[in-house]
Amino acid sequence: MLEQQIFYVDALARTTGACIVFFAVLTLLYSWKAMPKNGGRLGYNLYLLLSLATALGAVLTGHLVVLLVCWGLTGVFLYLLIGYGTKERTPATAKKAFIIIGGTDAFMMLGVVLIGQITGSFNMAHIHLSLAEPAALLAFLCLLAGVLAKAGVLPFHTWVPDTAEDAPTPVTAFLPAAVDKLLGIYLLARMVLDLFVMTPGMNAVLLALGAVTIAVAGVMMLMQQDFKRLLAFCAISQAGYVLLGIGTGHPLGIAGGLFHMVNHAIYKSCLFFSGGAVEQRVRTTDMERMGGLARPMPVIFTCFLIGALAVSGVPPLNGFVSKWMVYQGIIEAGREGGGLWVLWLAVAMFGSALTLAGMMKTVHAIFLGQPSHDRPADTGPHESTPWPMSFPPLLLASLSILFGIGAYDLPLKYLIFPILEQAPTFPGIWQPTLATVLILIAIGGGMMFYFLYRWSKTLRQTDVFIGGETLDAVPGMRVSGSAFYDSVQELPGFRSFFVLAGRSDPYELAARIVTRLGGPLRDLHNGILSTYLSWCLLGMGVLFAVLLLR
Amino acid sequence: MSGNSLLIPCFVAVPLAGAFLNSLVGRRVRALPEFLGALAAFILVGLSLMALQSVRADSVWVYQVGGWKLPLGISLVLDGLTAFMLVTVNAVAFAIVVYARDYMERYTSKDLFYTLLLLMLAGMNGVLIAGDLFNLFVFLEIAAVASYALVAFGTERHELEAAFKYGVMGSVASLFILLGIALLYGMTSTLNLADMSQSLAGHSEADLLLMVSALFLMGFGLKTALVPFHAWLPDAHPSAPAPISAMLSGVLIKCLGIYALSRIFFNVIGMSPRVLTLLMYWGALSMMAGVILAMGQRDLKRLLAYSTISQVGYVVLGLGLGTPLGFLGVVLHLFNHSIAKALLFLVSGALEYATGTRDLHNMGGLRSRMPVTHTASFVAAMSIAGMPPFGGFWSKLLIIMAAVEAGHLGFAVWAVIVSVLTLALFAGVMKNIFWGEPGLRWQGVREVPGCMQASMLALALFSLLSGTLLVPGIREKFLLQASAALAQGTNYAHMIMSQI
Repeated sequence: MLEQQIFYVDALARTTGACIVFFAVLTLLYSWKAMPKNGGRLGYNLYLLLSLATALGAVLTGHLVVLLVCWGLTGVFLYLLIGYGTKERTPATAKKAFIIIGGTDAFMMLGVVLIGQITGSFNMAHIHLSLAEPAALLAFLCLLAGVLAKAGVLPFHTWVPDTAEDAPTPVTAFLPAAVDKLLGIYLLARMVLDLFVMTPGMNAVLLALGAVTIAVAGVMMLMQQDFKRLLAFCAISQAGYVLLGIGTGHPLGIAGGLFHMVNHAIYKSCLFFSGGAVEQRVRTTDMERMGGLARPMPVIFTCFLIGALAVSGVPPLNGFVSKWMVYQGIIEAGREGGGLWVLWLAVAMFGSALTLAGMMKTVHAIFLGQPSHDRPADTGPHESTPWPMSFPPLLLASLSILFGIGAYDLPLKYLIFPILEQAPTFPGIWQPTLATVLILIAIGGGMMFYFLYRWSKTLRQTDVFIGGETLDAVPGMRVSGSAFYDSVQELPGFRSFFVLAGRSDPYELAARIVTRLGGPLRDLHNGILSTYLSWCLLGMGVLFAVLLLR
Repeated sequence: MSGNSLLIPCFVAVPLAGAFLNSLVGRRVRALPEFLGALAAFILVGLSLMALQSVRADSVWVYQVGGWKLPLGISLVLDGLTAFMLVTVNAVAFAIVVYARDYMERYTSKDLFYTLLLLMLAGMNGVLIAGDLFNLFVFLEIAAVASYALVAFGTERHELEAAFKYGVMGSVASLFILLGIALLYGMTSTLNLADMSQSLAGHSEADLLLMVSALFLMGFGLKTALVPFHAWLPDAHPSAPAPISAMLSGVLIKCLGIYALSRIFFNVIGMSPRVLTLLMYWGALSMMAGVILAMGQRDLKRLLAYSTISQVGYVVLGLGLGTPLGFLGVVLHLFNHSIAKALLFLVSGALEYATGTRDLHNMGGLRSRMPVTHTASFVAAMSIAGMPPFGGFWSKLLIIMAAVEAGHLGFAVWAVIVSVLTLALFAGVMKNIFWGEPGLRWQGVREVPGCMQASMLALALFSLLSGTLLVPGIREKFLLQASAALAQGTNYAHMIMSQI
């Protein structure tokens, strides 16, 4: 009886739960070497395990209050885990992340209470609310706020880049990049599939949120100097695709969105894990001060490259399949009416291009190009990443390939389609295995021509030079690639966009409002007794007026 | 008169005896004041647990002083709400007495400190058990006067100033309360709460009753420090020694303000919809003003004091809802806030003890230096901020649930917004005090002595686990009895009269 009330394990919960456990194990393994030996390792591992437990609890429960408690606790543990970062801004970042996450949790509490009030039950199995009622709409929006903050979607995304920059890398790879996204999307899917009956209007809101997220985060990504911050903006933009997929309301789009959620967790963790290995070697996250690391770190480079290609949606990797499904979902949903689908599709494709551009910049700046000369510490020519730090990205990169090539036979069949009542049919033609063979043939052909050409010696090779001088002679003369797109900021429409994007952090906005309200209020308290007594008199007058006037 | 009702006068007699003994011989014998204080508080905790054990939801215990029958004599009454408050007050008092053993080393004349503390405790317990308005007023004054003296205990310039303001404004409040009592006495010719309630039931002078209501609301509102009657609190509470600040913010304003207010309005006069609505808006105003004012404070104790105004606003909002669920939330929030706010004031005392400052902008990185204080303050801050599964989450959940249930969606949204601001406030406090790298100045800081640690950890444990009070089987004994006493309304008089 109690079991029925508390646990609610269906395909959606199973898939999300399995992913959470998988990433937790990888993170624990990775942290073994990635975290410094001294200083609270016990607490760190404990908090990791506890956030695993609470995240699992949030996913596997069918009782909304239990969900609320577990969900809130993952936020508390995120706060504590960010605290293990050693950057100067770590305390401020932890505070900000906690306020955004915890604050939206408070709104979720209101949402849950409203649902309980309307339906008389907190049991997910019994709830299927129509959004026509204003109270149900408010409940939906309250829950949505929690979802958006957890998944890092506009407008509650601003904690993600800061956290990526200032928290320890394994924490970033585990929580904001994987588990928090999974949790957020899990609840969104739960809301869309079970708790509420979606209306076209609400779907349009989701679609718009997704599209704006993709575009804004995509453009912001291009400008970043810090590669962890760049990856964080990329993660935000990818969450937009998930929203777009789920917002279509079409089974194919929803399946695509959920598949994208799993895929995103895989390649974004892969990127953060390999990035962490780079960071440990060069002791910086500033892309300006990296470069040329492909040679000393071939394994990490390969993993990062696969992750970067997957996130950009290059076939035949997994990111392509899920994006393809999202596109198909948008088109299918567009058939049923409304002309806006063209816009969503255009934004999604544009965002994909942005992602590719940003990832190419990153790969170039970190691994290709010339090594930076003011790199603080370089431990030697050979890859010295310990295996617990190189195994997780390797595994995730292979999974990226596997989930791409075998998309229909493995992940979709076992993880995604059971969630939906009926497996969607594919209108488009995409056969991953055949496509892979064709792509491999094409790459092979290209390489053949390249080597034939080189072999024929008709190609003249020379060192890179600028103004007639080779680069080795002038150490300061170096193109890192981290400033590839800085000129975008100068474009006519974009200048105001960046100003706006810098100002529209809801956290800063709220802080400014409260400060503005608090100042005059504080000034009233001048410490003079007669002032205070006159307030009492005033209050007394109000009391009499309220009680005695009719 | 059964054995159990003999328990009731002990709640005043024990601390009074302790206070007198202290003032007589406390100066001569070393360590006697601490011992007497701890002993009295310990006995009181035991007594209040016994009282909680013996009380039933459907009956009350009445002790008639000197055997004089009601309504002629003085009566002391113990019901569910009283038992609940007694447990809360005396448990917090015990933790504070333990804490004060090490903390008060820096002060002179400890015998006076313990005398005043026990007097204040006697006054608070007296307010809780008083069965008639006059005794309620007398005990209220005993507690208030003792607290004026305790605020001035440091005898520095700003402490004396704060005590003076507190004294003046507290006296204004008492005056209005006394005027209200006089008017009621004129109307009903009795001071006994039960008798008065029955006599008021047949009364037709509605206007006079509204006048009395306004007087009481102002008087008790001032004692509760509701906006705009709050201005004394941010001066008075920070100026007292930390254990006393904990006592004032944690329990005193709830006994003198919330308890007395709700006893008189719900159980004697009878709540009118208009007063209920007024309470809701009043609570909402206090909640928001308190937390916004707290935001910009640099002095930790002043910040905590403003946060108290905000949290008491929740309680008043819950009272104004007037539903059983709202009362349950109120009772649990009273308990949670008593524990957590007392704990936070103890933390501020520990920080001042270790670093010599309360300026938030001067501290930083103390987490590694003071791990126990950090843990305690983390738990308390999470509880006040309403993060699950800490205690404060459950009481806020109940109050918001009750607001939604009663159809006041706007107040529910308001409460949520205040909760977000409170979270931001305490996240900032934690960051400023504990996070980051310790500066050079704090390299030599050491954790506070054992008694202070033990007291803080015990309160932290309560704060963490108070959600379990809602588990079926436990909630009937502690929370539901108390909220039922509020929900029964003017049936209170009938229950007392049937007891004799």
